[in-house]
Amino acid sequence: MRGSAGEGQRQHPVITGKASTRGAALALIAPALAVVALFFVAPLAMSVVVAFRGKDGGFTLEHFAKSFDFYTTDLLFTLAIVVASTLLIGAVAIAIAGYLTLGGNPRTIAVLRWLYRWPLFIPFVVAGQLMRTFLAKNGMLNHVLIGSGLIEPLSAQSLLDWRGIVVAFVWKQAPFVTLLLAGAMASLEPQHIEAARNLGARRMSVLIDIVLPQVRGTLLVGLVLSFVTMLSVLSVPLMINPNSPTMVTVDVAYRISTHADYPVANALCLLSLALAAIGAVFYLRHAAARVEGG
Amino acid sequence: MMHGSGRRVTSEAYSRPEFAPLLDGAVSLDRKLKRLVQRYARARSRLGSSGCGKTTLLRSIAGFVLPDSGTIKVGGRDITRLPPEARETAMMFQSYALWPHMSVADNIAYGLRMRGWKKDAMAARVEEMLKLLQLQGFGPRPVTQLSGGQRQRVAMGRALAVDPHLLLLDEPMSNLDYKVRLELRHELRALQKRIGITAVYVTHDREEALTLADRIAVIDAGRIVQIGAPEQIFHQPSSAFVAGFMGADNALDLVRTENGGLATVTNGVPPEQRIRAHFRSDAARLDGAPPAEDDLVFTGTVAQSVYVGQGYRYRVRAGNADIWVHAPERVAEGTTARVIVPRAALLLFSKDSSL
Repeated sequence: MRGSAGEGQRQHPVITGKASTRGAALALIAPALAVVALFFVAPLAMSVVVAFRGKDGGFTLEHFAKSFDFYTTDLLFTLAIVVASTLLIGAVAIAIAGYLTLGGNPRTIAVLRWLYRWPLFIPFVVAGQLMRTFLAKNGMLNHVLIGSGLIEPLSAQSLLDWRGIVVAFVWKQAPFVTLLLAGAMASLEPQHIEAARNLGARRMSVLIDIVLPQVRGTLLVGLVLSFVTMLSVLSVPLMINPNSPTMVTVDVAYRISTHADYPVANALCLLSLALAAIGAVFYLRHAAARVEGG
Repeated sequence: MMHGSGRRVTSEAYSRPEFAPLLDGAVSLDRKLKRLVQRYARARSRLGSSGCGKTTLLRSIAGFVLPDSGTIKVGGRDITRLPPEARETAMMFQSYALWPHMSVADNIAYGLRMRGWKKDAMAARVEEMLKLLQLQGFGPRPVTQLSGGQRQRVAMGRALAVDPHLLLLDEPMSNLDYKVRLELRHELRALQKRIGITAVYVTHDREEALTLADRIAVIDAGRIVQIGAPEQIFHQPSSAFVAGFMGADNALDLVRTENGGLATVTNGVPPEQRIRAHFRSDAARLDGAPPAEDDLVFTGTVAQSVYVGQGYRYRVRAGNADIWVHAPERVAEGTTARVIVPRAALLLFSKDSSL
């Protein structure tokens, strides 16, 4: 069908009208469109419908009211944790990628390059478990701190609260952003860096003045993707800090598994989506700026 | 400019400002650096151009390559182990390496900013540079909007703004059109004389080197093979390699006759008695005035003629040698011709000195 339409166009360019070209184009993208509609648009629409539908089947905001009543703290807690994690991830990724690009010791660079990627291959649930054993009151971190005499055994405290979640998120997501960032830095012209050092710039100045401005876009994309990913992680908060205040994902799971309360769960999901949209706005703004800048 | 002795990289900048282009290659290098040079050469040769270490040498002066042994001195100061940012050299890169996210003024001011200059002092110096390079009014423009020649000048301004002890130029003209290159060559020479800065200029372009240089170092396979004034390098090349490089492209084997003259080699002459003779195609002539007594005369057939704008260039087949001759008049291919080479035009090298 499509093949013959193409043939016809080539042989009779005058007769073949715009309409048939459009038809062929639609036919071409139809399978992809169907998949998107069926698996993405339809569930999202259902979720929206359920979130706004009352017991009588009419429109209501009661589920959102309930969500805010019960979970405002958790929503703010979630936002705070994800924003803090995103900022820390940025700092860690810049430090590692910067050292990989500008570092002076080839052996350290090789070791770091080999080491930093490991968390990429570890699922969130395993990361959560690792942090439990690492950050608990009698966990590895406190053992090391006490053993080295840095803290008293009595003052050892569990870090399995919001701090634990942030540590787990940064540990898991920083390598991802580092990977993107180091790639972007590696593709910079090395002479850009040499020219700066030649003019008297120390490594730190080179990083801030020359390298970072040129990879800003990549950093932003990596951070936005991490931001959205962290918003949707259930396992880490569930394992490290399941008690209130906790992250919205835990609340959604709780509404569904304990109360079979899909309307409130969907309302919470939509609120998460709104948070994710903040990241999307950043991303789109940058993309638009790039198009304008050529 | 550079003194190579044994396996050491030694270089000294003279207090007297001068231009010292490095032609093809680098000073004698130690093992590690040599391996680096070779690796570099291999990588380059894959691209079809020659790399014999001249850029590596420049980079080692700038501090991007660390030599295993030897010392690099600028104005008596040993900079061998200093990091690049502490060397007070300014390098101009082949690709210019201007930072695309900065304006022209920011690019030029960067080195000053790193030296902690005050804002208005910096602005004044940038203005001075823009004026020097005839780029007035270009300050706020993004560098991405400039032409090749303008970028080259901005790169020059960025290097000169910090008033470096030593200016390093790595084939800075190779990305430009021929016409722009000719203009900039003279501009650059005038500029260098005016500000009186010592510069090391790497090029593979003979004309560029001769135009710009106070002293030329010719480099072959990681070694300086001759160093001297342009006239000296041009007229008294120390080896067959330098002679060939400097445009004496005719190479013949000759032998000394009993009365002290020179003759073409016949089959029976052993290699150790042969002398390598180089001469320029425009030093020889085709027939015309009768030969002087000690001129060398070859008889052959014109095998090829090429019009080169100012006259013709002929390939004359004489015996089993090809001789290139430049002549103003047109001669048909296939005619018999006499090539006359004045004795004074011959550059002679014993066979074993040829590289």
